[in-house]
Amino acid sequence: MKTYFFLGKGGVGKTTVSAAWSAGLAQSGLKTLVASIDPAHNLGDAFAVRIGDRIMHVGNNLDAVEVNIEDMIRAYLDEISAKMKSTYRYLSAMNIDGYFDILKNSPGIEEYATMEAIKKFVALKGYDAVVFDTPPTGMTIRVLAMPRVSLLWTDQLIKMRKRILSTRGMVENVRGKFEAEVDGERVVLSSSEKEDPVMQELVSYREELRALRDMFSSEQSYVNVVTMAEDLALSETKRIIESLDTFKIRVRTIFLNKFFAMANPPEEIKGKMEEQEGVIKRMKAEIRGIEVKDIPLLRKSPRGIDELLHVYLKYLV
Amino acid sequence: MRRLLDSLKKSFRTFDKGMREDATSLIRKQLDEEENIFALLTMSVFSGIPSPPTGVVLRILPHMSREISVMTRRSAGLDDMFAQTLGTFDID
Repeated sequence: MKTYFFLGKGGVGKTTVSAAWSAGLAQSGLKTLVASIDPAHNLGDAFAVRIGDRIMHVGNNLDAVEVNIEDMIRAYLDEISAKMKSTYRYLSAMNIDGYFDILKNSPGIEEYATMEAIKKFVALKGYDAVVFDTPPTGMTIRVLAMPRVSLLWTDQLIKMRKRILSTRGMVENVRGKFEAEVDGERVVLSSSEKEDPVMQELVSYREELRALRDMFSSEQSYVNVVTMAEDLALSETKRIIESLDTFKIRVRTIFLNKFFAMANPPEEIKGKMEEQEGVIKRMKAEIRGIEVKDIPLLRKSPRGIDELLHVYLKYLV
Repeated sequence: MRRLLDSLKKSFRTFDKGMREDATSLIRKQLDEEENIFALLTMSVFSGIPSPPTGVVLRILPHMSREISVMTRRSAGLDDMFAQTLGTFDID
């Protein structure tokens, strides 16, 4: 399966490009899913249909979904909270609901939920390609970097856990089974890595993170940048490429969107066009080895599969 | 005679248990400390220590009962650290 990510500043046209790209893939015969993981969705506007947080059919070979990240966070925390409440009675004394209220707003929770959403869609069977319409740059970079950063932590925590289990083992060797009292109940704690639930959870999470990290850096993953011919957008594009490079993620294509292409421009926009030409020159000189595709400012924003397909065939393919 | 043997066995068992308790008491303190640090690191969202990515914390949270209880016990005794340290080294 191939995955396609479209990154860029807000308002550069990521949704239109990803929608057009997915329409093109579907037309070429690939069973395609286009998923918006941007909390401010407008994938439905591009396809001119109402798209919800359940996968729906929007065209031949083409499905779409707009992920509700907030709902995902709430559902996930509710699930953990219920699991903890039923397992550990003593937590009721710790005001667990208050704890989850904090977690809901804790830094990184949105990125975590977004990464989980990506993981979920990539694991779906039956698709040849998944196209992601992403949130604005900063958050997307954090999401793409998350597997590597989380792996650093997971590796360290696994080391610490091994040490705890080894110390537990020492006590076990002298005194027999290690028992501890948790909320008045005697529980047997294992010193075996295979029986320690925390270790098991860390190890299985590490595997999932490794798979995701490898997927983001693989040849099957196409990370693209959508940008405009403006100074600020060029600077941001360069930053995206550098940041992703540190996480070993290669940008494949830059889509230079919404630039003026006119033979005889009116006086009022001549300055803007000169700025464009300068930026395009600098882009070609400063960014090497990445294909740049131009999409001029269209007379009308494409709406619906036919218009999106037209954009794909004319400018993207 | 049998009664004498039984009481001897019993006293040896108590002696053995005492020796084992004594031999592992420091290691148990070390274990408590390691578990406390593990809990502090992973639940540090409350204490201002740099915390692991939320995903890691959320994954292990449901299994952290023991560590949460150690951390709660340890933080309750923080105002009497001196007595705790003396207790660890058996100083009366």
